[in-house]
Amino acid sequence: MSDSENACISEDLGGYVLVRVCGEVDLSWSQQVRDAILAALGNSGVGVELARVTYIDSSGIAALVEGFQRARSSGRRYGLIAASRQVLAVLQLARLDKVFPMFADVEAARAT
Amino acid sequence: MTSLTRPLESLGRATIGSLAGMGYAAVLLGESLYFSVAGWRIGQPLRPRAVAEQMRQIGVDALPIVVLLALTIGIMLGIQFIAALSAFGAQSQVVVAVAKSVTREFGALITAILVAGRSGSALAARIGSMSVSQEVDALATMGIEPVRYLAAPALLAMLVMLPALTIFADAVAIGGAALYSSPALNITPSAYVMQTLSLLEPGDVWQGIAKSAVFAVLITLIGVSTGFSVAGGAEGVGRATTRAVVLSICWIIVVDMIFSYFLNR
Amino acid sequence: MNVTAPLIEVEKLEAWYGRRRILNGVDFAVNPGEIRVIMGGSGSGKSTLLRHLLGLHKPRSGTVRLLGVDIARASERQMLDVRRQIGVSFQGGALLTSLSVGDNVALPLREHTNLDEATIRIMSRLKLEVVNLGGFQDLMPAQLSGGMIKRTALARAIAMDPKLLFFDEPSAGLDPVVSAELDELILRLRDALRMTIVVVTHELESAFKIADTITVLDQGDILMTGTVDAVRHSDNERIQDLLNRRPREIQVDADAYLKRLTEEAA
Repeated sequence: MSDSENACISEDLGGYVLVRVCGEVDLSWSQQVRDAILAALGNSGVGVELARVTYIDSSGIAALVEGFQRARSSGRRYGLIAASRQVLAVLQLARLDKVFPMFADVEAARAT
Repeated sequence: MTSLTRPLESLGRATIGSLAGMGYAAVLLGESLYFSVAGWRIGQPLRPRAVAEQMRQIGVDALPIVVLLALTIGIMLGIQFIAALSAFGAQSQVVVAVAKSVTREFGALITAILVAGRSGSALAARIGSMSVSQEVDALATMGIEPVRYLAAPALLAMLVMLPALTIFADAVAIGGAALYSSPALNITPSAYVMQTLSLLEPGDVWQGIAKSAVFAVLITLIGVSTGFSVAGGAEGVGRATTRAVVLSICWIIVVDMIFSYFLNR
Repeated sequence: MNVTAPLIEVEKLEAWYGRRRILNGVDFAVNPGEIRVIMGGSGSGKSTLLRHLLGLHKPRSGTVRLLGVDIARASERQMLDVRRQIGVSFQGGALLTSLSVGDNVALPLREHTNLDEATIRIMSRLKLEVVNLGGFQDLMPAQLSGGMIKRTALARAIAMDPKLLFFDEPSAGLDPVVSAELDELILRLRDALRMTIVVVTHELESAFKIADTITVLDQGDILMTGTVDAVRHSDNERIQDLLNRRPREIQVDADAYLKRLTEEAA
């Protein structure tokens, strides 16, 4: 089941970092996701790709929120890309889908 | 027949009840100490902040009233000893009489009774109302052991603060006695205090401190165990609070007597 | 791992209160993802059953397994692991009155995780947003209305994203609108966070709205466990009494009755 393995990979697209998150984001490793997002925000805009996230708990959501807050205060671009159905359901629960900039793909996110 | 067995039955019930109470208190003591020492290993760490908060409530907040009472007791002892000892022309013995009775007996006793009234009842009321409103259950289901969260910090704080308050009360009471008796003895208050210090033995002070540590355990266990066993709503909380104070003070006085007997043979 | 293993398994559970038997050998199982409603009148034993399910009572006879762990034999470590994955919302809220709303919700996170304080703050406020109490974190429980207390209690219950959520009497003492909102919220929690939810209630309307399956408890016995439709159309007389709010027929045993009235120590 390599498809659902937990992973968080940052990819530098030149002035824009794509953080790909896969698997089940929960308390056990959400701090890694948080660190990856905050590190990437150090020098560029960030898009967090969530297409292959099968579960996300509130510590994972908290990481996304903290990243967004940090990006806003430093004037960087930030967006959630291709959020999976499961992620969307959790975001909607807290009405965060109306707070985060959401994009269908990387191109759309970089265009902003 | 029933008129004979009824009183026996209720006596038996009361005995079993108080034995069960003591057993429960012993379990609480064991668990509190266990969580204090090894709680962090099983994910139930004792929070220094909770202990500090309890220390403030039990110790620091009690300072003004302790000062007031200790001062009064010191003056009272000065009055009594001067009156009693001058009848034998033994006025010079006033200093040693006050010093020994305060450090061995009154400092610890007065402080303990005061803290039982202030903090023993507060513990019983707080934990009692928490049991009634299911807060204790909520803690347990959250994986926070109620004994660790509520009892252990109080026990540690009491074990530190009651002896500390006792030493403080000793000093204030002797100061009070010095203020009253030094004119009658024709010495300055500072000379009185110097004389006290030279007459006191470490054993005298230790006796009071040892007692106060035992009182600390008594007050906490009685307060906490009556609190946890509250049943019957708000009225039950009120009854438990009263019970905690009365029980604590009775136990303090009895235990004090037993201690005094064995320590002064 | 077997995906369909029940999260709660109760076998032949008996409970006694003094000499009175409250539960007569109850069997009970809840599967992952299910919303189970336990229904019954007062004195049916549903509160006692709940206390056993929460691990607040150890069974004297029979077994209770939560998330596969037998709570009568579990070590403290195992019990703690189980409790971290369980959330409970008590009937009266049971908020710690000495802590603010925000601190109440953050309490389980502070006690059980090593998360960054910023993360804990976001997580606990997020939970308050979920229950529509965004921005209320600095109030003290004494300043809240009944509905707000219930919602705060729910926020605290889901603070750790539990697998299993217990909800005791969600609609008791609430006005119909607030209680309908809570029902809605329970459904959304299951769908979004994949929670398994056990609700104890005597409110029929709310039970029928949220339940996947209903267990009907009466005088210490489980009358039936089934889907909403099965319960609605059950031909069991007691269940129909409950559904139609009919007062129950009380069987009168003349001897026992007289004994109760006249004997000194009944």
